[in-house]
Amino acid sequence: MKVRIRIKIAVTAIIGLAAIGVFAPTPRAQETAQARSVWEGVYTEEQAKRGAAFYSRDCASCHGSDLSGADEIPALSGPAFLSNWDGLTVGDLSERVRITMPPNKQGRLSRQQIVDILSHILGANGFPAGKTELEPKTEVLKQIRIEATKPRAK
Amino acid sequence: MSRIIYRSIPALLVLAVGLVWMTMGAWGQSKTGKRVSDRSTGNRTTINSTKGGMAAHSTSNGEWPHYTGDLAGTRYSPLDQINADNFNKLEVAWRFKTDNLGTRPEYKLEGTPLMVGGMLYATAGTRRSVVALKPETGELVWVHAEFEGQRAVNSPRQLSGRGLSYWTDGKGDDRILYVTTGYRLVALDARTGTRIPSFGKDGMVDLKVGVVYGTGQQIDLEKGDAGLHSTPIVAGDVVIIGMAMKEGMTVVTHNNAKGQVRAFDIRTGKQLWAFHPIPRPGEFGNDTWLNNSWATNGNTGVWTQITVDNELGLVYLPVESPTSDFYGGHRPGNNLFGESLVCVDLKTGKRKWHFQVVHHPIWDYDLSSAPILADINVNGRAIRAVALPTKEAFLYVFDRVTGEPVWPIEERPVPKGDVPGEWYSPTQPFPTKPPAYARQTVTVDDLIDFTPELRAQGLKVIEQFRNGPIFNPPTLSKPGGPLAGLTIGTTNGGTNWPGAGYDPETHTVYAPASNASVTPIGLIEPPEGFSDIKYVLGRAGQPFRVSEGPGFGSAADFPQEPRRRAAPTAPAAPGTAAAPPARGGEGGGGGTFVQGLPLLKPPYGLLSAINLDKGEIAWQVPHGDTPDVVRNHPLLKGMNIPKTGQNGAVGLVVTKTLVIMGDPQVTTTSAHPRGAMLRAYDKATGKEVGAIYMPAQQSGSPMTYMHNGKQYIVVAVSGGAYSGEYIAFALPDEERPTSNGGDRQR
Repeated sequence: MKVRIRIKIAVTAIIGLAAIGVFAPTPRAQETAQARSVWEGVYTEEQAKRGAAFYSRDCASCHGSDLSGADEIPALSGPAFLSNWDGLTVGDLSERVRITMPPNKQGRLSRQQIVDILSHILGANGFPAGKTELEPKTEVLKQIRIEATKPRAK
Repeated sequence: MSRIIYRSIPALLVLAVGLVWMTMGAWGQSKTGKRVSDRSTGNRTTINSTKGGMAAHSTSNGEWPHYTGDLAGTRYSPLDQINADNFNKLEVAWRFKTDNLGTRPEYKLEGTPLMVGGMLYATAGTRRSVVALKPETGELVWVHAEFEGQRAVNSPRQLSGRGLSYWTDGKGDDRILYVTTGYRLVALDARTGTRIPSFGKDGMVDLKVGVVYGTGQQIDLEKGDAGLHSTPIVAGDVVIIGMAMKEGMTVVTHNNAKGQVRAFDIRTGKQLWAFHPIPRPGEFGNDTWLNNSWATNGNTGVWTQITVDNELGLVYLPVESPTSDFYGGHRPGNNLFGESLVCVDLKTGKRKWHFQVVHHPIWDYDLSSAPILADINVNGRAIRAVALPTKEAFLYVFDRVTGEPVWPIEERPVPKGDVPGEWYSPTQPFPTKPPAYARQTVTVDDLIDFTPELRAQGLKVIEQFRNGPIFNPPTLSKPGGPLAGLTIGTTNGGTNWPGAGYDPETHTVYAPASNASVTPIGLIEPPEGFSDIKYVLGRAGQPFRVSEGPGFGSAADFPQEPRRRAAPTAPAAPGTAAAPPARGGEGGGGGTFVQGLPLLKPPYGLLSAINLDKGEIAWQVPHGDTPDVVRNHPLLKGMNIPKTGQNGAVGLVVTKTLVIMGDPQVTTTSAHPRGAMLRAYDKATGKEVGAIYMPAQQSGSPMTYMHNGKQYIVVAVSGGAYSGEYIAFALPDEERPTSNGGDRQR
C-alpha cells in the first residue's frame, strides 16, 4: 500500500515536473555538430559596431557606457557578468533581453537589434569576432555556449 | 486616480477553479464561527480565541506566522526533524513557478511565505499577486491580484515584494494583509482571497493619501514617490506600514516625499497614528534640521522590516537616509531620525527613545535590517535587549525598554570632506562591543594578494580613489583623481534587507554579511534641468546615469511597445559614443576589479555567530562557493585557494540545531552543475554539515514549517536566466525520524 502510494506520488511528481519543464532538454543534451562556444568567433566586428550604437541608445543609461552596471543593475561585462552566464547559451541571454529589456521600452528592440547588442557585449568581454554574424534565431543561439574561460585547444 | 479593476483570478488557472471549490467545501465555518478541520488532510488546527488574537499561531506549533517567523525578528523555529544527520537527504517536495502571475516572468523573487493554519501564503510575480498554496504540495488554492496600471508602473518598489501578514480574531475572521506595488494596503479573506469589504474602502486603504512633501503638501496619488517591499507588521489588532521611495543616489529633487510610519486598525482600516521620521515643527528633533531644512527635504522612510514587542507595547523602527544618499548640503544638521533606530509606543506612535547610528547621513548606511528582540544576560544582569544588524557590520545592542546601549557606544572624531556646501558631523558613534563582523574599510592589507602582480595592480586601482577609514566621506569626482571616495559596506555591504537571525536559547545572533562590496562614492553636478540638488552620484568623464529603484521596470504593466520588425540599421551615433569596450573582465563595481577578480582578498561573504551575553563573535565562516571567476581564472591556475565565500545579500533561517542559508551566486563545479547550494551550518560551531542543490541562487530568505509530521524548508530562487520560483524541500519518508512526527510539536 505504502509502496503504491509512493509510486503514485512519484508518477504525479514526474508528470508535474515534466509540465514545468524540469525535463526539458538542456542545451547540452541538444548538443549536435553545430554546438559552438563564444570563443569560436560567433559574431562580426561590423555587427558589434552596429550593436554598440543600439547599446548606447537603449542600454547604456542604466548598464553604463562601459557595461559596468551599478548597484542593482547587473554588469554586462567582467566577472559578475561571466559568472552569471557561464554555462548558459547566447540564446538564454537573448531571451532574457527579449522578455525584459529595456524595461522602460520593452519590445522596442527587434531580434536583429538584440543580437547586434549581444555582439557588442561579447566583444566587450573579450570574446573574438569572426566571419559570420550572430543570427537572430533562438534555436541557433541556444547552440552557442557562453564559457567564461577559453577551453583548451583539442 | 485610475479605476482599479479588482479580480480574484482563479479562473485564469484552470486547476485552481476546482481547488477553490474543493477547499471551500472543506473549510466551511461551523456555527460557532470556529474553523473546522480540513478533512482531506486532517491537519487543520482549531484556533482558540485568544486575547492578542495571534497567540495561538506560533513557530512553536511548527508554523511560520510572520515574515521573520515571529514579531521579534528572529527567523527562529524550534523544529529539528531536519538536522545535521539528514540535511543532505532533503528532496524537492514541490516547486511553485511565478512566471504567469503578471505579464512576464520575474527574475528577482525576494519573498518568504507564511505558513499558518495549515496554509501557505506568499506574494509572487510581476503583478505582486497573493497566492495561497497547499503546504504539502504547493498546489494553488487561490490567487488574488490588483490591476493598478500606471500607478504600479510609477512605483519606486516594483518587485513582487518580501511577503505579507496574517491576522485572525480567533473566531473565524482570518485575514491576509499586503501592500500592492502601487502602495495600497489590502485586506483579504484568508480562505478565499477576496477582499474584506468592511476594511478601508472595499478592502483597501490608499496609503498614498496622507503622504506629503514640503511642509505638508499631498503627493500625487498616481505619480507620487511611495511604495514598499517589506511586509505589513501585524501586532495584536494593529497593522503597521513603512514606506520606501526611489533610490536616493541621483534624485530629481531634495524636496522629495517625506517618509512616515503609520498604524491602522486591522478590522476597519482606520488610521490610528502616524510617526514622522522627519519631525515637524514642535516635534522632538525638528531642530536637528538647521535652516528650517526639514521643510525642503524628504525620504527618511522605513523600507525594511519593523519589529514589535507586544508585551511591552513597543515598536522598533529602523529608519533610512534622508534625501539624498550621498549629498546632504541642503539639510545641514544631524537630521533626526535619519539612520536612527526609533522606539515608539504601539498604541500611540509616540517616540519613547531613539539612537542615531549615523549623524547627518551621507553614506547610504540606511538601516537595512529588522531589529532583533533578544532577552539576554550580561554579567549576571538580565536585559531585554534589541540588536540591530547593519550595512556597516556593526551590531548595535540596546536595552529595548530604555534605549541605553548595552555596551558603551563612543562618539569618535571622523574626517571631514571637502564637497562644497556639505555639512559634516565632527563625530560618529562607534560601538565598543560586539566587534564589527565584516569589513568596514578598504585598507592596503585587504587588497587582493593571490600573487604579487595582482596585488600591485590592486594598489594601482585604489590610487584613483580617496581612501580612508569608515566614514570616508564622498568626494567630488575629478578626471585626474580622486574619482571618488572609496567605501565598503555603504550601499550594498554588511547585512542588507534579508537581515539576521537569532537563537533565543543560546542568545546568539547569526548575521550574514557581504564582505567585498566596494563602493566608490563620487559626486558630480547633475545635468542641466535634471534636479534641484547640487550634487548627484556620478563619475567625472562618464555620461551621467540615473540610479533607478530596485525592480525598476519589472512591474507587470510597465510600458511595452509593440514589438516591431526593424531593419538592422544602427541609430545615428549619439553625442557620446559608446566607450571603448572594457578588456575582458574589467567591468563592474565602478572600476574596482583587478583582472576581473575582486579588488579585495577573500572572504567575500561571511556568516557570523555573535553571542549577545558576551558581546563577542563566537564563530565566523565564509559563506558560498568560491565564485567561478576565481576558481577558473587563468592567472590562478594551480593555486590552492580555500573556500572564498560569496558577496551578496542573502538571508537565513535558524532551527533547533542549524543555520540554513543559500548561496547568493551561481557556480558550476565538479560537484554540481550550474546552480547554487542551500547550506546548513552547525549552530554551535559554524561547521557546514550539509548542502543541497538549487537550480539558481537564493533570492528570498528561507522559512520552515511542519505539516502532517513533515518538516519543510521553502526558499525563493531566481536570477540571471532563471525566473522566480519557490522551492520546498523535505525528507523522503524513510529518512524521517519517527520520534518527531506530530503536527504540533512542543
